[in-house]
Amino acid sequence: MKDVDLDRLLRSAARAKEETPVEMPFGFDTRVVALSRRNGNGALFGALLRRVAFVATAVIVLASAGAYFEFNRNGDVITAGNEFAIADSAIQDEVLP
Amino acid sequence: MADRDSAELVQAALQHDDEAARELVRRLYPLIAKMVRSHRPRRTSEEDLCQMIFIKIFQKLSQFSGKVPLEHWVSRIAVNTCLNQIESEKVRPELRQADLSEEEQAVVENLEVSSEELAPDRQLASRQLVEHLLQMLKPVERVVIDLLYLQGRSVEEIHKITGMSVAAIKVRAFRARQRMKAQLEKIGAQTTS
Repeated sequence: MKDVDLDRLLRSAARAKEETPVEMPFGFDTRVVALSRRNGNGALFGALLRRVAFVATAVIVLASAGAYFEFNRNGDVITAGNEFAIADSAIQDEVLP
Repeated sequence: MADRDSAELVQAALQHDDEAARELVRRLYPLIAKMVRSHRPRRTSEEDLCQMIFIKIFQKLSQFSGKVPLEHWVSRIAVNTCLNQIESEKVRPELRQADLSEEEQAVVENLEVSSEELAPDRQLASRQLVEHLLQMLKPVERVVIDLLYLQGRSVEEIHKITGMSVAAIKVRAFRARQRMKAQLEKIGAQTTS
């Protein structure tokens, strides 16, 4: 089998007419537009969902950061409180019989 | 409505004008259907694939810049959607003589014994034989052979439609031709033995 033989076959195949005409099924355009609009609404809902998720993540991060700083600050207070308690205990030991 | 050009229809469809969107479907349907018929996987119906392509077109319509003709932009979506569908099907490993009709076998014999152009009454059998041979190829090779030889498109046009580089198109066409020739030789050997 040579290249020219394949070319002859392909040329003959290319000349063969389509047996069925290209005709749009009834109502196809309406169905496609309705489906794409529905998908479009789905996409809008998806975009809204993404925004909500983004805002929620930001709130979680801020709340976590706040809680972390608050915890650290409370830690300082607790430490300071302990120091006062030790000093108070030492004074009491000194003063009281 | 018939006087409106494609760009106007696209803009109107983007503004949720359903009549413009339907008109766009009606105008593009022959082009899409033709592409689908050429590249349709065996297990997917033509109408389903057309619908899938149109929904993708509407989803991406806002990305259409107007720098290229709408037909090229749409063709690329159609070809890529068909390719994705074809990828899901396995390539048939080999074509046997028994898979061919008597007319297709006669075409193979004719190719071997004569160097003249095939007779017009052999065109349909030739087409069926080529379609059988295309099923042996990889999806991208199938698309290249179809566009290049059956639809008579130039390499440059195929580049615009598919996005493949010119070199890749030529390499794929060459490889596909080699495979098709090898298959035809095998069938020819079976026919003569």
